Amino acid sequence: MTDSFEHLIRSTLTDLAEEAPIVHDLLSRAERRVRRRRRATVTLGAVGTVAAILIAAPIALAATGSDQPRPAVPSPAGPAAVPNPADPAAVPGPPGVPARPTVEPTVVPGPPGVPSPAQLTVEPSPLGPPGVPGGGPVGAPGAPPPGLPAVSPSPLGPAGQPAR
Amino acid sequence: MDEDERARLAEFVGSRTPALMRVAYLLTGDRTAAEDLFQSALARAIPKWGTIRHTDPEGYLRVVMYRQQISWWRRLRRWRETPLNPADEPVGADPSGGSDVRLAMRAALRHLPPAQRAVVVLRYYEDLPEARVAELLGCSVGTVRSRTHRAVTRLRELLPEIELLEVRR
Repeated sequence: MTDSFEHLIRSTLTDLAEEAPIVHDLLSRAERRVRRRRRATVTLGAVGTVAAILIAAPIALAATGSDQPRPAVPSPAGPAAVPNPADPAAVPGPPGVPARPTVEPTVVPGPPGVPSPAQLTVEPSPLGPPGVPGGGPVGAPGAPPPGLPAVSPSPLGPAGQPAR
Repeated sequence: MDEDERARLAEFVGSRTPALMRVAYLLTGDRTAAEDLFQSALARAIPKWGTIRHTDPEGYLRVVMYRQQISWWRRLRRWRETPLNPADEPVGADPSGGSDVRLAMRAALRHLPPAQRAVVVLRYYEDLPEARVAELLGCSVGTVRSRTHRAVTRLRELLPEIELLEVRR
């Protein structure tokens, strides 16, 4: 019974296959379809890119355009900077010696674009009175005046940029 | 694609279209859908013609047709369509001179879901073994076996009078 049933399926399918339509000029229609699909893909890609830019741009601007300074830049009224042990100028000098470094450290220039870790950032403090070197001995030698921040390199600032 | 490649493609399409259209018609059971299926498979093969023409372009087209026929996207599209004449019966006389049994079987085949119909076509029309059918459809041999079993059972359910007709013959 199964064999006869399967034979019936086979013969019916063979009969049915003979009724398949005869088509002409199928290649040119398929090529048009390929072109249309390619155009649709390119258009959808462009629309997707524009949509991604339109969505991402306001988010990126909101993330960077706030009034607060960027976290990487220390604020002028921020906490006292910790001296960098790798920095020779950060070591407090003996009493009576001005805090401003008298000897310029030798800075070996690194490769272009790479900041040197040994680069000094010691600069006069902008909080000091005008005309007075920041952190330098104003009164008694060796005793820094109270209230004035000690001059120290900014460990948080970018290399080569003076601390504010 | 240069002119030489295009000429070879046109020659291939011209020579193999009847056979491939037969398969497409058996898979879909509808003339328009068969043409659309074959054209869709051809549109997928044209960009890859440079690669497949040295191997087996007809086999590639057949696999694309088999897989597209049972794909989810195509099923969704088919579901949205509202056929005016679901049976798609030929208007003229039956060219096979078929009996009632064959006509009933033809109608029953149209009621099979695409996946089961594809398995039936591959197993009983193309006469392929189960392992090859599984390879072509991208499924396991067990899946092919169960789909075949379900398809045959469904055909028997749709044709309860087949046994009587067979006995009468």
